[in-house]
Amino acid sequence: MTPGLAKTVRGTLRSLPGALSLTVLAVIVAAALLAPVLGLPDPAEMAFDLYQSPNADHWLGTDNFGRDIFARVVWGARVALVVAIGAALLSILIGSVLGAVAGYFGGWIDGLLSRVFDIFLLIPTFFLILLIVALFGASLPLTIVAIALTTWPRSARLMRSQVLTLKSRVYVQAALAAGASHWWVIVRHVIPNGIAPIITDGTILMGMAILTEAGLSFLGLGDQNLVSWGGMIFEGQRHLRLAPWMSIAPGVALLLLVASLNLLGDSINFAMNPQLRTRGGAPKARTRVAPPANEPEPTAETPILEVEDLRLVYTAGDRKIAAVDGVSFSLPRGGALGIVGESGCGKSSLGSALLQTMPNNAELTSGTIRYDGKAIVLNGKPVAEKGRSRIDALRWTRMATIFQSAMNALNPVTTVRRQMMDALRLHKPGIGKEEAAARIGEVFDMIGIPRSRMNAYPHQLSGGMRQRAMIALSLILEPELVIADEPTTALDMLIQDQILGEIADLRERLNLSLILVSHDMGAVAESCETVAVMYAGRIVEIAPTRRIFDRPAHPYTRTLIGALPSLTGPLEDLASLPATDTEAAASATGCRFAHACPAATDLCRAQVPPAVDLGDGHVSECHYAEDFAAEAADPQEARA
Amino acid sequence: MRLLRYFLFRLLQMFPIALFIVVINFALIHMAPGDVSILLAGEGADPQYMEEVRQRYGLDLPLYQQLGAYIGQLLQGDLGLSFRTREPVIGIIAERIPATLLLAGTALVLASVLGVIIGAVMARRPGSAMDTAVTTLSISLFSIPVFWLGLMLILLFAVTLRWLPSSGMVSIAGPREGIGYILDVAMHMILPVLSLSAIWLGQYVRLSRASVSETLAEPYVTTARAIGFPERRVMSRFALRNAMLPIVTVLGLELGLLLSGAVLTETVFSWPGLGRLIYEAILSRDTPVIMGAFLIMSFTVMLAALLTDLLYAALDPRVRL
Repeated sequence: MTPGLAKTVRGTLRSLPGALSLTVLAVIVAAALLAPVLGLPDPAEMAFDLYQSPNADHWLGTDNFGRDIFARVVWGARVALVVAIGAALLSILIGSVLGAVAGYFGGWIDGLLSRVFDIFLLIPTFFLILLIVALFGASLPLTIVAIALTTWPRSARLMRSQVLTLKSRVYVQAALAAGASHWWVIVRHVIPNGIAPIITDGTILMGMAILTEAGLSFLGLGDQNLVSWGGMIFEGQRHLRLAPWMSIAPGVALLLLVASLNLLGDSINFAMNPQLRTRGGAPKARTRVAPPANEPEPTAETPILEVEDLRLVYTAGDRKIAAVDGVSFSLPRGGALGIVGESGCGKSSLGSALLQTMPNNAELTSGTIRYDGKAIVLNGKPVAEKGRSRIDALRWTRMATIFQSAMNALNPVTTVRRQMMDALRLHKPGIGKEEAAARIGEVFDMIGIPRSRMNAYPHQLSGGMRQRAMIALSLILEPELVIADEPTTALDMLIQDQILGEIADLRERLNLSLILVSHDMGAVAESCETVAVMYAGRIVEIAPTRRIFDRPAHPYTRTLIGALPSLTGPLEDLASLPATDTEAAASATGCRFAHACPAATDLCRAQVPPAVDLGDGHVSECHYAEDFAAEAADPQEARA
Repeated sequence: MRLLRYFLFRLLQMFPIALFIVVINFALIHMAPGDVSILLAGEGADPQYMEEVRQRYGLDLPLYQQLGAYIGQLLQGDLGLSFRTREPVIGIIAERIPATLLLAGTALVLASVLGVIIGAVMARRPGSAMDTAVTTLSISLFSIPVFWLGLMLILLFAVTLRWLPSSGMVSIAGPREGIGYILDVAMHMILPVLSLSAIWLGQYVRLSRASVSETLAEPYVTTARAIGFPERRVMSRFALRNAMLPIVTVLGLELGLLLSGAVLTETVFSWPGLGRLIYEAILSRDTPVIMGAFLIMSFTVMLAALLTDLLYAALDPRVRL
């Protein structure tokens, strides 16, 4: 059993619906298998005691022919299971092969098969099955085949999408390169690896098959020689007033079996993708605290943003991950701070903490954030005044954000102009239509979006224009502080430069304070006078921009700068970034970077490095900060 | 303009599908055991009519010409004669459509509106005890055989409590016009609509729960919250509006399933719609009616898919030709 499978099985068993449905299924399967040896009365045997209500002899009563209903329900389980398993297996068999072929070969085969899948989606399948059975005569095997004939496209679609992702995998390519035939690769590598979700879907298919067969039997198209639950209800219907138990028992059995199958599929699905259960949601209510007593009035010298010992912890299952682990910094009014680090270092989490837009599984466990001298987060808790969170009073009017627009940061079904109008009217309810339109036009001009594009939907704009629209949206209410989270990622180099230039320019013109979060040291260098380098949840070095490039005092900063391609200097080997082992970094007893640091010593592995103040706002968390700072950086690597 | 072009384009795409369905029908008739002319004319038809059918469908000609003749008949709206009543199938079916539309339409509106609301509310607190309970309940709901649920409702509300009528669309001696008639039909509708919509409610709750929680995790929702929109507006303007797209698609695609549920429900409640007609046709082995019903149902589902596409295109500006 592979670890993934074992995890899925464990997850399924642990969930209440999963365990419950498996138990019910086990009982039904056991009853069906053991039916002949349970010592039940013959389900077809007629007797004189007609229409008996449930009693000690006949637990579920007898029907209009005096047959024992309990025995019939148990025997009916066999038919239901045969239909379920037969139809699902056949459907998966046809579907997987055709789906694999479509996905694997692509081209016209895929085109043709995809059309067929589409057509089957549009055919009312129950009527097709009904027609087949009505024309060819009711029999169980035919019903099974007819059901599979209409459900296989479901498995085929799933398999096709699986194959499309599997096709490019290394082992598939390797097998092909080694000379394996396409069919061999499909049968040996592609189908076995893509089958898991199809089997999960099989439980749903089984439920559908059972209900279909029951429906047919209920319409009188069931196999007359077999005891089927649907058929029992068909007969029971005519005696509903006289003997309701005739229809109640088989219906309950049907419901139990189908519900267990559906619940099981659902539980397996969730066990495989645990995030499905808790993704999204409305922001949860967090405990708010009152502002601290005697906060000093802000002066011109008060920093626009101050962060002290901020910690943000994600809960994933039973694991806790500190994405931000004791971060402190302060941003003077009108200043610009760049926060740099590779993905996963916690920089975006830090951004979401500043904006209070963290997902529900994130918690601030400590830290204070002050905006213009007023605490908006105190000891990890949002500060509220007169029943309103302080952050809410700042949103967009004083503190706005620029997200990465390529990532659907703008509402895809609303025009850009409308989105700006909505934001404007939200915060300035009294604003007139013309005034608002004028303001929007003004911002568009400022950002350099032609007014003719105002009524465009986000998808109608180019990447660069879309990012400009996001910037325009952030500036619509003239905020003092803008937090830009990866504003140029996914744009091409030229546009990146333009956008960054525009941000720097706007900052000057509007006297904005700016926090620029990026993975790109170069992007930050152009627009910020201070750079903070983040690694595994901490700011490991912070310094004025020139200083950090000239005299980086942390080995991690050095690798970041080394990884920066120089356009002017000679081409040289780029120092490649060592992969961050988040687990190793989090569990380190000493320095977090020690496991990947080329200069690590025993001291680094044993003791957490202190914050070494190198003067002029240059701080580095490295035991050897002073040594590193003393070495002038390689002049070729420094961007002067 | 954009919508019109899109509509025509999609309409064109429907033709091969329609042809496919007709060919399936044709193939089934020819593959089925027994004489084709008997299937088309119905068992026990008199020899003269049988000969007429043979002529009309060109049953002595090669297969591909037969297919041509068959399509020709269909294009003229000729679905054959009911073997039981000797009336044209198309007329018999057309007569029954309003009742089915009334039943299925009411159930669809009820189930989808309620389902979307409940699902959206659950999506606000994913993983909560309430959410898990509602998810489990909705799965159980659509695991109920719809005809059985109908019987149980009859047992409770018609047989035991005697609150509501158990079958038909109108009372035998009831009023035939005015408000009294409408009320009478409404009373008869309650139980069938309840059974049909209960099953679909489960489906739509799950669908909307999944779709809304998906959109609530989208970056534009984070943007909306950062802008400071109150959560209620985030939900309606940003999350629901975007979540409607997949919901509408599935709604359109599953209409066929809804119709099959309607057939079973009509059978239970003797509702004088298409479903009841099919049931009667099965009992009397009236093949022309069964085949005609399959064709009409297929075309209805295609039409619904077309309308769904149109609705989707109207909701999502990203849809283009």
